[in-house]
Amino acid sequence: MNDMRILERDVETQTAKMTARGVQVYYGDNHALKDVDIDILQNTVTAFIGPSGCGKSTFLRCLNRMNDTVASARVLGQILLEGEDIYDKRVDPVTLRARVGMVFQKPNPFPKSIYDNVAYGPKIHGLTRSKADLDEVVETALKKAALWNEVKDRLSAPGTGLSGGQQQRLCIARAIATSPEVLLMDEPCSALDPIATAQVEELIDELRSQFSVVIVTHSMQQAARVSQRTAFFHLGNLVEFGETGQIFTNPRDPRTESYITGRIG
Amino acid sequence: MSLGLLTLIVLGLAAFGFLLGRGRALSSVKGDPRALHSLPAYYGWSVALATAVPALLVLAAWLFVQPALLQGQIAAQLPADAAGSTDLAMADLRRIASGLDRLEGSLPAADLAALTQDPAALRGQLASAGVALGAEIDPAVLKAATDYRAAATRGQGAMVLVVALIAAAGFAIALWRIRPDLRARNLVEQLTTLVLIGCSLIAVATTFGIVASLVFESVHFFRIYDFGKFFFSTTWNPKFGGGSDLGLWPLVWGTLYVSVIALVVSVPIGLMAAIYLSEYAGRKVRSFAKPAIEILAGIPTIVYGLFALITVGPFLRDWFAQPLGLGASSSSVMTAGLVMGIMLIPFVSSLSDDIINAVPQAMRDGSYGLGATQSETVKQVVLPAALPGIVGAVLLAASRAIGETMIVVMGAGAAAKMSLNPFEAMTTVTVKIVSQLTGDTEFASPETLVAFALGLTLFCFTLALNVLALVIVRKYREQYE
Repeated sequence: MNDMRILERDVETQTAKMTARGVQVYYGDNHALKDVDIDILQNTVTAFIGPSGCGKSTFLRCLNRMNDTVASARVLGQILLEGEDIYDKRVDPVTLRARVGMVFQKPNPFPKSIYDNVAYGPKIHGLTRSKADLDEVVETALKKAALWNEVKDRLSAPGTGLSGGQQQRLCIARAIATSPEVLLMDEPCSALDPIATAQVEELIDELRSQFSVVIVTHSMQQAARVSQRTAFFHLGNLVEFGETGQIFTNPRDPRTESYITGRIG
Repeated sequence: MSLGLLTLIVLGLAAFGFLLGRGRALSSVKGDPRALHSLPAYYGWSVALATAVPALLVLAAWLFVQPALLQGQIAAQLPADAAGSTDLAMADLRRIASGLDRLEGSLPAADLAALTQDPAALRGQLASAGVALGAEIDPAVLKAATDYRAAATRGQGAMVLVVALIAAAGFAIALWRIRPDLRARNLVEQLTTLVLIGCSLIAVATTFGIVASLVFESVHFFRIYDFGKFFFSTTWNPKFGGGSDLGLWPLVWGTLYVSVIALVVSVPIGLMAAIYLSEYAGRKVRSFAKPAIEILAGIPTIVYGLFALITVGPFLRDWFAQPLGLGASSSSVMTAGLVMGIMLIPFVSSLSDDIINAVPQAMRDGSYGLGATQSETVKQVVLPAALPGIVGAVLLAASRAIGETMIVVMGAGAAAKMSLNPFEAMTTVTVKIVSQLTGDTEFASPETLVAFALGLTLFCFTLALNVLALVIVRKYREQYE
């Protein structure tokens, strides 16, 4: 693990973008997430680590109310986005999801052309005034996602024809194009090879300048490489949350230490 | 020996072979099945299959070939002018032969032999046995009939012998081959593959047979009726005395008109019902509504026809056609089209529902994750992904609409017309096929044979639709894999 890099990295701002207090999630009778308090900071990459089934993806899906689409899920507690409760009745989950974008574990491009995949968000939210505007948004998003050079000559080709790594970067471009404030990534590299993973990780680091990024990962190396803050979940509990360097070099909780040294999970 | 008995004997031998083969395999390793290459039952099966399969195949082939060969021989024997055409003589001959078979049971052999020398007395005897003959029996035909019977009996005897020999040979060879290291499992799998290939060949051969019979009779039709008049004339006016106009277009027009109305009714309703059921409805609604819609698919088309005749037809006439001044007929294209559309709703909705459900949840999550609403997701992501399947469902519905007969007879009438007015009675290709074939005209006349040409046209239509569906599905299939 590259300890030097972790220690050198500093957290630029301390403003909380999202705040979670006492969050509980139930799937039917199953208590999946117990009493989680977390602050997602502005312009920061926050990593969620922990063994499978520990609740990290569940919590991620609470942050943009994707759990609403699961009929049996129940969310208690408070999650604020810039001071506003996102589970308040007045909040439209659709608008919320435009502000808190999401990239999924498996690349899931729509059965449309590359251009239309990226233009999907801006079109449905009416973010652009003209075709030229839209072209520019698509180009910028693809450039940010480091995909522009590979696809600029075949924007009308189907998005499903790209390779796995390209598809995932297309999905990231699609999420960026909607210009969200927070970007949630649920194991975005689990289906990718090491080269594509490196590209996506580099991209995440660049995205930090504009968004808050939350990434769920099974790879502790990845968490150490890309994040500034790390949260460790275990059996539905948030065990430890702090600066990435501290979590990996000097964990306070014995469970965190066991996990990162490979003794549990 | 009868056919059933022969089959039973072959199957019995196969069952016996199963037990014997299994026993022989076990005894060859002194009762320890672990020393065998395959499970003991496979040795049994290898004997049973080797006994039954070739024997039964030969039996089936013999049953097809023998009558054809016999008929060729006997037809050559018949006098050239025997009671009109050869076909009629052959039909008489077969009836005499079957009558003689019946008499054989009730009369002593000597009496029967005497009767065959006396055509007039024979006719009376045959009539009392339930075989009525139109004319006096021609001695030449009688002679041919007795020959026919003799040849058939000889053929059957030979068949029994050959089949029994083949079964016994298969039995003996398979039994002889059993050794502990015989790969019985692989052998049985190969034989099973052969059986499977045979079954699929039957399906394919039947298709080709149907097409061939259509083509054959259509060629007959075009020999006696002008090709150009059939394809380019716009009048359909069959007459009993000949000189009919048998133009294709009024029927094709009616077929297309009715089908288009049916699709215009069924596709939007069915598709939207499918979208509601798969995307919006809760589990309870879905578990009730889906079977309820599928009940529609189980209603026989004749019942839909009644509905068209008694309810929809008069309703359309009284409330739309007459007030609008478009006609006073209760049978109309509109009636048939509407009712057929209702019939097709479950086809479209049920298939589309399955297809929409098969669109991966990841696709919907992706769209929701970008802040799309449910209807945006359905319109822009789910439906495009499901498009190939939906097209398939629609084309299937179209094939049903084109092939539908009962609703059209009862709803749209039987008048062949080309008109734009949807409240006028028209008719379709299928209806005319039925009425031309069930009429009283001679079979070899163009009025009857036209049914085959119409059938072939219809077949080409649905074939083209199916090919179109395949092309569309293939073009878009890989979109979300």
